[in-house]
Amino acid sequence: MCHIVAAFGIPHNPHFPTWVQTGHPLAQEIESKYRPLRLAFEQARPDALLYITSDHYNMFWETLPVFAIGVADSARGASDYPELDREVRLDAALAHHIHGHLLRRDFDVAMLQEVELDHTVIAPLHFLAPHADVALIPVYVNAFVRPLPSAQRCLALGRAIREAVESAPGAGRVAVAGSGSFSLEIGGPRISEDSHTGVPAPGWLDRVLGLLRTADLTRLVAETTDEQMWRAGNAGGEVLDWIVMLGMFDPRPPDYLDVQPQFGHAFASWSLDAAASS
Amino acid sequence: MNKLCRRVVHDPALREALAQDPEPVLRGFAPPLSKAEIEALVTGDVGTLSRAGCNHFLLHQLGRWGLFGLDLPEYAQRIRAAHSDERRRTGPEPD
Repeated sequence: MCHIVAAFGIPHNPHFPTWVQTGHPLAQEIESKYRPLRLAFEQARPDALLYITSDHYNMFWETLPVFAIGVADSARGASDYPELDREVRLDAALAHHIHGHLLRRDFDVAMLQEVELDHTVIAPLHFLAPHADVALIPVYVNAFVRPLPSAQRCLALGRAIREAVESAPGAGRVAVAGSGSFSLEIGGPRISEDSHTGVPAPGWLDRVLGLLRTADLTRLVAETTDEQMWRAGNAGGEVLDWIVMLGMFDPRPPDYLDVQPQFGHAFASWSLDAAASS
Repeated sequence: MNKLCRRVVHDPALREALAQDPEPVLRGFAPPLSKAEIEALVTGDVGTLSRAGCNHFLLHQLGRWGLFGLDLPEYAQRIRAAHSDERRRTGPEPD
């Protein structure tokens, strides 16, 4: 069986890689917050990375699956930020196995035989695995176009993906990542005075961080209502990507948790394999 | 409108054409844009387009790509001005 060796919560601001390369005033802060994730990733030595994200109206536009999984052999991106261009190998065999398992568990997940990655995958990968040849399995959650899946449903999806990984043939080491903000408005009425983005619900950001620290997944799911996600901004649904990821291992406090309040997002890692940390 | 904004992200030739001479491009766009939408676009009136229900993830791309006299700070200022009444009404996030 395969097993999950590490988990990550990771932001995906599309400008971060360029800011770091060009010496933006936040470059050092950005690098320092991603660094513990990269170190944990390298220590975990995963063969595959299950990456939970929400396409930003790039691949999914006319058709909007609630959940989807990429089963292609490779993919390029970022389709919406060409300056970040990179080709990524995908683990088609494991993706097919997970897809089949999810269907048998009554999750009607769309199967993507062609995948175009956007910045939500490529920008964080720049920091998490800049050079690693890890095979990706992209899993998509509709976090923007209502109706959204419920937090409870996303948690159940994460648990079903865990079953799928643990029933997969071989002895592969699998890392999982959930990407997104907890409170973020992009281009809408609740942006801040000095940016095209904003953090409409800093209190909710703090609340999610607190629940992560205490590993209170039950309460996080209960409090992640549609209304709460909307109050958190038009990208507030991205917390669902984290909840899918959190469903893939037994609740425990993160080994690393940090925040950038001005962006409404957090960085987290969990080492889940004793052998990986020895 | 949403289709136009999305294509702006993925179609460099469209961006170039809009930067050169936007009105004919907008008049020939498919699906067709209304007269009011075209007028709002060429004047960079994203406040009106926002209030008409455009998707903000997509609408802000006009500022990102510097179209219709916009950049991101100008986009932000116009959106905030268009929604200042709502912000006053709703106030800060409740505890």
